[in-house]
Amino acid sequence: MKKSFVFSGSGGQGIMSAGIMLAHTAIDMQKHSTFLPEYGPEQRGGSAKCTVIISDDQIVSPLTKKCDTLIAMNEQAYNKFSGDIKEGGLLVLNSSRVASGMDREDVKVLAVPVDDVALELGNVKMANTVLIGALVGATDIVSKEAIVASLEAKFAKKKPEILELNMKALEKGIELGKAHKV
Amino acid sequence: MEKRFMKGCEAIAEAAVRGGCRFFAGYPITPQNEIPEYLSWRLPEVGGAFVQGESEVASINMVYGAAATGTRALTSSSGPGISLKAEGISYLASAQLPAVIVNISRGGPGLGSIQPAQSDYLQATKALGHGGFRTMVFAPATLQEAVDLTYNAWEYAERDRNPVLILMDGCLGAIMEEVELPPMKELSTENTEDWSLAKVGGRTDNHMITPILPEPALEMLNKFKGFTYKGWEFSDVKVEEYLLEDAEYVVVAYGIAARVAKEAINNLREEGYKVGMIRPITLYPFPKASLDNLDYSKVKGIIDIEMTIPAQMRDDIELQVKGRCPVHEYGRSGGMLLDDEGVYEAISNIVKEGE
Repeated sequence: MKKSFVFSGSGGQGIMSAGIMLAHTAIDMQKHSTFLPEYGPEQRGGSAKCTVIISDDQIVSPLTKKCDTLIAMNEQAYNKFSGDIKEGGLLVLNSSRVASGMDREDVKVLAVPVDDVALELGNVKMANTVLIGALVGATDIVSKEAIVASLEAKFAKKKPEILELNMKALEKGIELGKAHKV
Repeated sequence: MEKRFMKGCEAIAEAAVRGGCRFFAGYPITPQNEIPEYLSWRLPEVGGAFVQGESEVASINMVYGAAATGTRALTSSSGPGISLKAEGISYLASAQLPAVIVNISRGGPGLGSIQPAQSDYLQATKALGHGGFRTMVFAPATLQEAVDLTYNAWEYAERDRNPVLILMDGCLGAIMEEVELPPMKELSTENTEDWSLAKVGGRTDNHMITPILPEPALEMLNKFKGFTYKGWEFSDVKVEEYLLEDAEYVVVAYGIAARVAKEAINNLREEGYKVGMIRPITLYPFPKASLDNLDYSKVKGIIDIEMTIPAQMRDDIELQVKGRCPVHEYGRSGGMLLDDEGVYEAISNIVKEGE
C-alpha cells in the first residue's frame, strides 16, 4: 500500500503542521512516510503546499506528480491542484472557503466546512485539526488511536485547555468524516 | 541506534554534531537556514560555538580559523553563497585544512530560484574555487545516507587535510524522513595533533597559512595534492549500481533525481524493459569504472537525469562511455521539480524508440 496526499492552502492555515502530523502518525504506526513542503519566499501568507507519502514499504521517490488525495483548504489551492488527483482519488474540501463544486466524476469528494466547525468550537486556528479528523474518519489511512496519541504529543507542552479544544476539534472532524466514509 | 522523523537540514546538522563538529559559521540563505538555526542552539549544548557571520566571506574565514586549531568546523550555504565562499575554500585547500562545507543547492544561475535544483554539479566537482584544487563531493539521495556521510565527513577531511563538500538539493534539505542517528563520537586529537595550532606543544613553530611559496615548494605541494586526488579514485569511490546485470539502458543520476528515476525504473522493469541505474554517491571521485565497465554489446543507451538544464554530469559520463553508445539527457530546472511521471515518460520514450 502506498498513498500520496497533497495538503494545500495558504500560509497560516496549518497546512504544514497537518501534513507533518499525518506523516508522523504513520511513522508511529510502523509505516514509512515522507513529508515534503513547498512554499514561496513570503514570511506571512502566500501559498502553502506539502506532499505526504505513506507506504508499507520504503519510499523510493518522494516526488510525485499526481496524488491519491488532495486536501484543498481554499479556492486557489482547489483551482491549482484539483487536476492532479488520480482517477478514483479523493478530494477533501474546506467548504467554508471553497465555493466551487468538483467537476470531475472520477473523484470522490469529502466537503467539510472546517473553518466554521473550528470557529464554533472556539478558534478558527483549529481548522486543520478538524480537517485531519475528517480525513481519518473518512479513510483508514491511520487509526484514531494513533492520531489521538500524535495530537497529545504535539500539544503536550502547551496549556491543557489547548489540547482539550484540539481534541474536541479532532473528534468533531472524525464524526463528520465518518458520515462520509469513502 | 536512535530513530527519528527529521527534516533534512536538521538531520545533517545533528549528524555533524554527533560526528564531532564543534564550530559553525555561516550566513543565512534559503533553502539551508534550518542548518544554522538548529546548530545555533545545539552546538552550545555540547560545548561548541555557533557564529552567524556578517557575510559568507567572513564565515568561511572563521571556519578557516577554527579548522587551524584542529576543531571540526562546518559551514553551509546554497549556490550563490557557496560562490562567495569560493575564495575561502580555495585557501582552506591551500593551507591543507580540514573542514566540511554543505551546499543545499537551488535553482541557478545568479540569484536563481529558492526552489530545489541540482544546479551546482560543475561548481562542486570542477572548480569550487580558484587554483585547481579538488575536494571530495558527497551526494546523498536519502536522509539516512546524508546522516551517515556527514557523520564521517571529518575523517576524510582530516585524513587528507582537505575540505569535503556535501552536495544536496533543496528537496533533500526540506524533506522529512525517518533517520537512524549514530551515537556521539568521542572527540580525539589523534588526527590533528601533529599540525594543529591548538597542540603546538613542544614544536617550535607552526603556520597555518596560504602563503606565496617559493615556486618549487608550491609545485611540490601541488604534486602532493595530485597524488591525494588520484588516491581517492582507488579507495574512496562510492556508487550504487542498480539492476545493471542485464540492462540495455542505463540511467545515471544522483541525489533526489536518482530516487525519482529509480521509481520510474521499477515501473519500467514491471513492463519488461531492461533498465538499470548507476548512482554516483561520490560525485568526486566520479565512479568512472562503473560506466567504463558496462557491457556495451548489450547497452543501447545511457540516460543522464538531473534536476538541472542543461545536464552538467554529461561530460563526465561521456568521458567513460567513449562513444560506445548514445548518451541522452533529461531534466527540469530553475525550481521546476522532476516528478515520477515526467521521468518515466522521458526514459520510456528513449527505450521504446530503440525497440
